[in-house]
Amino acid sequence: MLLRLDTVSSFYGRTQILRDIDFGVTNGSCMCVLGRNGVGKTTLLRTIMGLVDKMTGTMTVSDTNLTRARTDERAKYGLGYVPQGRQILGNFTVRENILLGTFAKTGRNGKVPDICLDLFPYLAENLNRRAGELSGGQQQQLAISRALAVDPQILLLDEPTEGIQPNIVAEIGETLRMLNKKMGISMILSEQHIKVARDLGDQFVMMDNGRIVESGDISELTDDMVDRHMTV
Amino acid sequence: MDISSIAFANSLILGLSIAGIFFVAALGLTIIYGTAGVINMAHGEFIMLGAYTVYALQTFAGIPYFLCIPVAFVVVGAIGFAIEKSLIRYLYDRPLDTLLATWGVSLVLIQGTRLIFGSDPKYVEIPQFLSSNLEVGGLSLGVFRIFIIFMALVLAAGVWFIFYKTDFGIKIRAVTQNREIAASFGINSGQVYSFTFALGAGLAGVAGALFGALNIVLPTMGMGYVVEAFLTVVTGGGALLGSAIASLAIGELQSIFALITNSTFAKFLIFVLIVVFLRFRPQGLISASGKRR
Repeated sequence: MLLRLDTVSSFYGRTQILRDIDFGVTNGSCMCVLGRNGVGKTTLLRTIMGLVDKMTGTMTVSDTNLTRARTDERAKYGLGYVPQGRQILGNFTVRENILLGTFAKTGRNGKVPDICLDLFPYLAENLNRRAGELSGGQQQQLAISRALAVDPQILLLDEPTEGIQPNIVAEIGETLRMLNKKMGISMILSEQHIKVARDLGDQFVMMDNGRIVESGDISELTDDMVDRHMTV
Repeated sequence: MDISSIAFANSLILGLSIAGIFFVAALGLTIIYGTAGVINMAHGEFIMLGAYTVYALQTFAGIPYFLCIPVAFVVVGAIGFAIEKSLIRYLYDRPLDTLLATWGVSLVLIQGTRLIFGSDPKYVEIPQFLSSNLEVGGLSLGVFRIFIIFMALVLAAGVWFIFYKTDFGIKIRAVTQNREIAASFGINSGQVYSFTFALGAGLAGVAGALFGALNIVLPTMGMGYVVEAFLTVVTGGGALLGSAIASLAIGELQSIFALITNSTFAKFLIFVLIVVFLRFRPQGLISASGKRR
């Protein structure tokens, strides 16, 4: 198992958000985290990144226990994070945003990795542009590019298609498929677009009220589950 | 040139020199406030420590003045690093506590210096050529004041280079903009804050090395400079460029007001202008971090 959470709970201040999460990602697979808004999907990814106030239980990456590790230490174990709302650094250039990702990589050479340039030609042509000037879709490409600069074992993608126009959603879906299926990068994908999840996912977990209520292979995700846990 | 235009040109040059002093005094504070959001009340005492470092090096080891300047940077930077590691790091995101704690540090530094060096004034020796006056076309300015302007430019260029052309600069700016994202990409914000605090303290040490030669060296000398530093940083908004523009504006206006009225009234006018400016633009000229406000 590449990443494993055992009875993990997490808190913001005294408020408990996640409750007894058991969760695992195998090498090269895509795990979809599904559920309505506010059920704990983002908190699950933030918990893995060490961005919550307190976490109990155990978390391992490649059998290394990272439960007590700081966020910057976890990143160095190959966690490439694409946060909700992209959170690219608007005052940085495109180049600087991508270089930021390389700080988590071993053997860093201070250059923009080729994969980032090859995957997103627009970014390659606009490396000196201020990132805040990019469109939403381009910023999402930059956020993915920055996470790839980590040379990740696992990409953690928090609703990467949220607020993106439909033709770009398809493009981002294709990019993620290529990264996962052809390059073998494991993924944890928090997603509300059920089509994207069915398209990309190998396994899924369905969340409700901070707990995992359903899980299995993506082929076992029934319309009934979607109706019960995702329809507002 | 007639007398009034010579006087005006002289006051512009003097203004530039005042701007240089304001900028050098404010540079370290700008970096610490702009990056970590810490209002460092001990900044004036870091300046004072820089001056005493030069005095001690000259008196006890006979080290030449120009060599003392980088040593003051290292010594005061190391003191700043130790203070950050032992105290400030526990107080981030608690502005009032940081303010009180750094004020406490300033009192300790003043008393500690008094215990070691006594309360009597000390003097920093500068090379002969720096104490001369330069006269060009009726304009006159002390060479040391020109040296301060030169140092202000060198330090500004150095800080700009660190911030925009080095890995450490990317780290500092990333942590300033979004600490969580910086950490998510392997940047240890605690370490960045420690080194930034040390850099800011070291720059205050350089300021002290310059101001110690400009005036007498006393344990309480920092108190005057910290006011100038805060005026510059608050008006500038915490960004490097903001402090540069603010110090230039304050220096020139103060000098021109002094020419028209007198220096006491000029300072009064500057304070009033800054208060009015901040009433309409409380974030200062250029805000270092939109997020923090």
